[in-house]
Amino acid sequence: MIYLDHAATTPLDPAALQAMLPWLQGEVGNPASDHAWGHAARAAVERARGQVAELLGAQPEEIVWTSGATESNNLAIKGALEFRGLRGAHLVTARTEHKSVVDSVRQLESQGLRVSWLKPDAQGLITVEQVLAALAPDTALVSLMWVNNETGTINPVEALAPRLRERGILFHVDAVQAAGKLPIDLSRTPIDLLSLSAHKLYGPQGVGALFVRKRPRARLSPQLHGGGHEQGMRSGTLPTHQIAGFGEACRVAGERLAEEGARLAALRDHLQQRLQQVLPGLHLNGHPQDRVPGILNLSFEGVEGESLRASLGDLAVSSGSACSSATREPSYVLRALGRDDELAGASLRFSLGRGTTAAEVDRAAARVIEAVETLRRIAGAGSAVPVTPPVNAHGYPAAVWAAFSRPVHAADLGEAAVTATAGSPAGALRLRLQAQLQGGRIARAAFQAYGCPVTLAVGEWLAGWLEGRRPGELHLSAADLRTALEIGDDKAQCALLGEDAVLALERQMSLA
Amino acid sequence: MPSYLDHNATTRVDPRVLEAMLPYLSGPYGNASSLHRYGRAARDAVEQARAQVARLVNAQPGEILWTSGGTESNNLALKGSTDRAAPTRLLYGVTEHPAVMEAAESLKERGWQVEPVAVDAEGLIDWPAFERQLAAGPVRLVALMRANNETGVIQDVGRAAPLVHAAGAWLHVDAVQAAGKIPVDFEALQADLMSLSSHKIYGPKGIGALAVKSHVELTPLHHGGAQERGLRGGTENVASIVGFGVAAELALQELDERAARALELRQRLEQGLRVLPGIRIFGAGAERLPNTLQFALAGYDGEALLMQLDRKGFAVSSGSACASGLGEPSHVLIGMGLDRDTAKGAIRVSLGKDNTAAEVDQFLQALGSFAAP
Repeated sequence: MIYLDHAATTPLDPAALQAMLPWLQGEVGNPASDHAWGHAARAAVERARGQVAELLGAQPEEIVWTSGATESNNLAIKGALEFRGLRGAHLVTARTEHKSVVDSVRQLESQGLRVSWLKPDAQGLITVEQVLAALAPDTALVSLMWVNNETGTINPVEALAPRLRERGILFHVDAVQAAGKLPIDLSRTPIDLLSLSAHKLYGPQGVGALFVRKRPRARLSPQLHGGGHEQGMRSGTLPTHQIAGFGEACRVAGERLAEEGARLAALRDHLQQRLQQVLPGLHLNGHPQDRVPGILNLSFEGVEGESLRASLGDLAVSSGSACSSATREPSYVLRALGRDDELAGASLRFSLGRGTTAAEVDRAAARVIEAVETLRRIAGAGSAVPVTPPVNAHGYPAAVWAAFSRPVHAADLGEAAVTATAGSPAGALRLRLQAQLQGGRIARAAFQAYGCPVTLAVGEWLAGWLEGRRPGELHLSAADLRTALEIGDDKAQCALLGEDAVLALERQMSLA
Repeated sequence: MPSYLDHNATTRVDPRVLEAMLPYLSGPYGNASSLHRYGRAARDAVEQARAQVARLVNAQPGEILWTSGGTESNNLALKGSTDRAAPTRLLYGVTEHPAVMEAAESLKERGWQVEPVAVDAEGLIDWPAFERQLAAGPVRLVALMRANNETGVIQDVGRAAPLVHAAGAWLHVDAVQAAGKIPVDFEALQADLMSLSSHKIYGPKGIGALAVKSHVELTPLHHGGAQERGLRGGTENVASIVGFGVAAELALQELDERAARALELRQRLEQGLRVLPGIRIFGAGAERLPNTLQFALAGYDGEALLMQLDRKGFAVSSGSACASGLGEPSHVLIGMGLDRDTAKGAIRVSLGKDNTAAEVDQFLQALGSFAAP
């Protein structure tokens, strides 16, 4: 397994774990309790607050603990707008923001907030001019992410911040993908609210922070009411161990920032060059220069996204489409960059991190090249048997997997063979069957396919099934196919495609 | 030897809980590949924990939602279940935890009429007044705690449920202090919503749960992401969830043993306290949590006593940890009709599964030396 998904979550830093353990091993005490045990826990919490603040160039009292970035983004946006009042309020944000920002803003939009949803350019960038042009006299808040989580593109938040400050407009920045990767100095950059997550910078899951500027003071309505913790902005018992781990993770990240950034940028560029040298038809999703060191997002022409992911089961990367088998939902971020559904679906995000080595990057590149070339050949040209059978990491049925992982019938038998094609109307699925007749029987059959692993498995299985049969004996329903390959309801359309292809082939043979 | 006697504020993580958490903090699961090759194992662990927490309170696993703790659970219950309704009335017990009170009060801004439910001098619901309140107009939600965090008084929420439902309202039960100390039965209590917290039952801090009946329409507090059936966005805190699950399982297994032991120690404490002049034990006439005892000594300032006890190494509290340092008398005791001076003198002892009779005796001895005339 090669782990190249550090933008999703990072392993816990050993130093962070060491900082957490005392609070899980015997130490007791609620940081809000007024006795020696409570004071010790409080001291650990405050030490960590200083460590987080230092990474940001902020003051400790400007850091509010939360349960994670989702809560931080909710608190910043809803808290600021609720404090101001929604009446007549306007907000500027982008379509490429993280889901927790998009959904928080939508929630307020449904209650009457006016929203300008900015569209990025083809590289995913939102410009300063674009934001300024969208401002209205009653704009209460601009919410813009520092770094996009899918493309790695860096928005010009440092240039934008003073322009918003001079207009007196509150500025929230989701810095989850920037913190610990780019230098952040809030003593010089007049951002008012800034969201952080621990588990994206080698800290524990379940803890985050919101920077809330003191001078000038950013005002928020609390979203969790109760005992009045965190200066009344966020109630709830503080998880001492999580906070101690987060603080330590920030300290380590700050120390390593420059060196690690240069190392990851070099590895990332190497990965990109290697893939682009060998594979034609690649599209970079994101900005060629203005992006964080560790992220590379590419779309691959001529391969279907789900099959690409299925072929890379031993590679932990993210893809541009929700991996739900029933619904194909291409990434809204890549769609906003102007990618069509196919290219958005056939994308991979590689995110490199502290543990990533040059050897892993080379192995990952080789695996991707092999998978893309194999799928392209199955979809079109020549025959191909994969050199390395992929790993069934996504839980496809055994029969589907057996056929998908060894497509020995993927071939083009040429013009002498009877050929029939079936496809879905939108062209998302395509299956071609070919049969060579000899002595009244099908001596050899082959398939080509473009689609998900189940589609490819149907092609492989059908070609094997056809061999040795006579035209006129080709009775096979979609239900038979589903039984043979253990195809569930969510993939029923793949079996129907197979039935269509067999019917079409039979028709072609009777014409011949 | 220092003695920790503040288990209603928070508890030590049980070593067996930590052992279950460690693989998810380090090693193959916590080594971030968890989302992929180990993804299914992590997913299974989260679902196993959900079943463990459900069993503790006799709920269905599908009724359990993860939260960041009791405060979020109470906020989600009150705000989430009222969000889609036209504002009417919301009732909450006058001795509720600040997370319930403040969440309820915040709903006034959204047009809700928020009314406290009165209790008697023992901290028990004033039933005739409660029934009149329910009959006085439409009610959407009633929030009552199973057991009080300061006095330990156990509320008969099972009696309240049919009344609340007959009034067309939903019942929310804050069971943060009750779970793991007395049997709590989500089904039998007929509650519609119930809050739970991990760090009160020897699990880690920063994780809690809300049990929700399927008929309750809930609006999320944290938008973004499809986690928890779209009702609570945010990456799952796998290690803490696993720890909470194990803590819940142990609490269920050892419930009788822990309760019997706590009760024995509390009775020892209570006997020792009774001989002190001017002693007053709050909620003494009501059924209470076996581990909790709140008292005041006439003529002694609670704050000063707490400081002296702290110096001697005894961790106790005046009431809720959240309210510490505010210098305000306990709203719980004020709600029970006590005067401000008596309420300000309150000291809460909350025993844990690892306390000993010797610790109780030493505490009594220390208190006696300060309180001696």
